[in-house]
Amino acid sequence: MNDMQWTPIGSEPLPPPLPPTRVDFTGNRTEFRKLVTKGAMLELVTFGFYRFWLVTDVRRHLWANTAIDGDAAEYTGRAKELLVGFLFALAILVPIYLAYFLVGIEFERWQGFASTPLFISFYAFGQFAIFRARRYRLTRTVWRGVRFWMDGSGWAYSFRAMLWGLLVFLTLGLALPWREASLERYKMRHTHYGDLRGEFAGDGWTFFKRGWWLWLLSPIALVIFPLAPFFYAEFKAREWRWWLDGIRIGGVSLSSELPHNAFYGLYWKVIGWWTLLSAIFGAYIGGATMLVVALSGLSVEQAFGPGNAAKSIPMLVMMVVGYLALALALNIVMRVYLQRDLWAKVLETVDVHNIAAAADVRGSAELASALGEGFADGLDVAGF
Amino acid sequence: MNKLSTETPAQSAKPTIFFDGVSSRRRQVTLTLGDALEIAEEGGGPVVWPYADIRRADSPAGILRLACASAPPLARLEIRDALLASNVTARCMRLDEHQTSRRGVAKIVGWSMAAAVSIVCVVLFGVPLAADRLAPLVPKPIERRIGDASEVQVKTIFGRNLCEDAAGKAAFIKLVNRLRDAAGLDDDSMTAGVLPTPVPNAFALPGGKVFVLKGLLDKAESPDELAGILAHELGHLKHYDNMRGLIYNGGTSFLIGLLFGDVTGSSAVIFASRSVVEASYSREAETAADTFAIEIMHALGRSPKPAAELMFRITGKEGGGLTSILSSHPLTEDRLARMTKEDRPPSGPPLLTNQEWTALKSICGSGKI
Ligand SMILES: [Zn+2]
Repeated sequence: MNDMQWTPIGSEPLPPPLPPTRVDFTGNRTEFRKLVTKGAMLELVTFGFYRFWLVTDVRRHLWANTAIDGDAAEYTGRAKELLVGFLFALAILVPIYLAYFLVGIEFERWQGFASTPLFISFYAFGQFAIFRARRYRLTRTVWRGVRFWMDGSGWAYSFRAMLWGLLVFLTLGLALPWREASLERYKMRHTHYGDLRGEFAGDGWTFFKRGWWLWLLSPIALVIFPLAPFFYAEFKAREWRWWLDGIRIGGVSLSSELPHNAFYGLYWKVIGWWTLLSAIFGAYIGGATMLVVALSGLSVEQAFGPGNAAKSIPMLVMMVVGYLALALALNIVMRVYLQRDLWAKVLETVDVHNIAAAADVRGSAELASALGEGFADGLDVAGF
Repeated sequence: MNKLSTETPAQSAKPTIFFDGVSSRRRQVTLTLGDALEIAEEGGGPVVWPYADIRRADSPAGILRLACASAPPLARLEIRDALLASNVTARCMRLDEHQTSRRGVAKIVGWSMAAAVSIVCVVLFGVPLAADRLAPLVPKPIERRIGDASEVQVKTIFGRNLCEDAAGKAAFIKLVNRLRDAAGLDDDSMTAGVLPTPVPNAFALPGGKVFVLKGLLDKAESPDELAGILAHELGHLKHYDNMRGLIYNGGTSFLIGLLFGDVTGSSAVIFASRSVVEASYSREAETAADTFAIEIMHALGRSPKPAAELMFRITGKEGGGLTSILSSHPLTEDRLARMTKEDRPPSGPPLLTNQEWTALKSICGSGKI
């Protein structure tokens, strides 16, 4: 019989007093890079079906390495749920696509290109999907043995998003801060951690004051193209900070000191990689062309000229292979910089106030299905 | 019996934390490794986890986090001391049973390959077959509705009104009727007209609508040239090519989209593979329509060659290489070669008289558009 006692002796660590607690991200970057590299390759050989597993692994890594008040979170979602959600969403979307097609014909008969507004219905569906996907992710997020959950209605959310979307369109984007504040309020008020209810304290005016000049300057970025990433990074940083500052759950609140220039480096690194990889791809295509020309013993004109369809097939294959390799590399770069690094960068600025309010929360609620994620995947609106 | 580390100094002992899965309370516990794992909080009865039910949960490095299949699903035990952790893991035989193993990944790859192969087979064989079988079965009213819808679009692009010069129209109707009788198409469904636009082209829409664009008429030098092209378009109608193409394109784009999903993050691969697959399908349809046109022209005792010459005048030499794989039509020089082979001296009467031909040429009014 193995009989072992484990008795830590000594004083218990006192619960942290008033100063805010930090959020720590302890994820190993190399490990993450290996994870997404392997995932991207598997995605390639499985024609993309591996995406459900990769997305799940990425979330598991990020969640498990994020510790609030010393306790790491956990993502309990599984890839099979996403796959099933995707298949269900497909079963629902296919008849809708067909109906869309038939309705479109009726509209066209009446007036050419009149069916364009029908795209709006897909936008509505996309918003619904975003809400439901968020619900899925939250119900798979566990901290201290209690899960987050959401109520509220996806369609009610979609309706709000549509109306605000219209207003943003009519005001040329000026209403965007108020749209975000309103939608965030809806989402956070229907967000719960155990028996604590969420709230969103941010308001549109604050966001507007932080970013209005970006709105004014945005036409410049259209002219002077290299400025665009700066503007976007600036906007994103301000948006993140405003969003984090507004989050409340029960008595717990967040605040963030995210500097306005926090994302410059990230975006420029992505652009740098993108340029480098494109250059390599270009050189590869050039090299492949020369190789084909050299091997076939024809001039460039002849090789791609009339009557040489058969000779251009190896060229086509080489191009496809090169393109897939490029897509794969870009996929890895995006995930490492725009998911992992961005996540780490944001979290290191976050302070959690009054975490003691979440010290004894009772768990409740049921799991939501992954149908929303499936729709989001089918409609290509997913976040992460 | 190994009594282990009971009196480990407190400084090195990192606390073991237990969450019962009901409340978020952080409980500092002591473990007893007996027949089962006993988790005891000071002042409470122990929670017992059978070793066989214990599973590993995700955790940051340096912490062993455990769950238990027979406990509340979110109950978690966090062991921070490496030695204790290894003692516990040594006893849990089924710790990692639920994780995706190497075999699990191989299975995913295998199934995806199977799915991909079946999708490719469906795209290459199933969808064309379905399109061929289904297209003739599409009810006429639906076909006509689709035709009406596309007619509205076509007219938005190429001009609202058909050319209406009375003498020209009479000549055009005579020409179309002769071809239609030879083609054996039922009359009620077919309409034809000339649209006033300089683009040299002609096309057939679902529901039996044939449009000739003025640009083509201007380039045509004899009734036979125009007749051959019209016969080709009637071939498309006869073979239900519009409906077949619609079903085929809808089916393949859906399936290829399904196949690649978001692997590339963009639709370039989808677009490229779709164009290659669909172009080859439409090349077949074009060749079949050419065959039909040759038969009609022969039946009327005229040569199909002038039509190919007209096409050649419009497109010029098209070349080969990459373009021929992506092209939706057979190369014009190949079509010309084929129709030249089918060239026969005219045995039937001319399709239009000289006056009728002149009238047709000026159906849109005498002026240039
Ligand atoms: Zn054709």
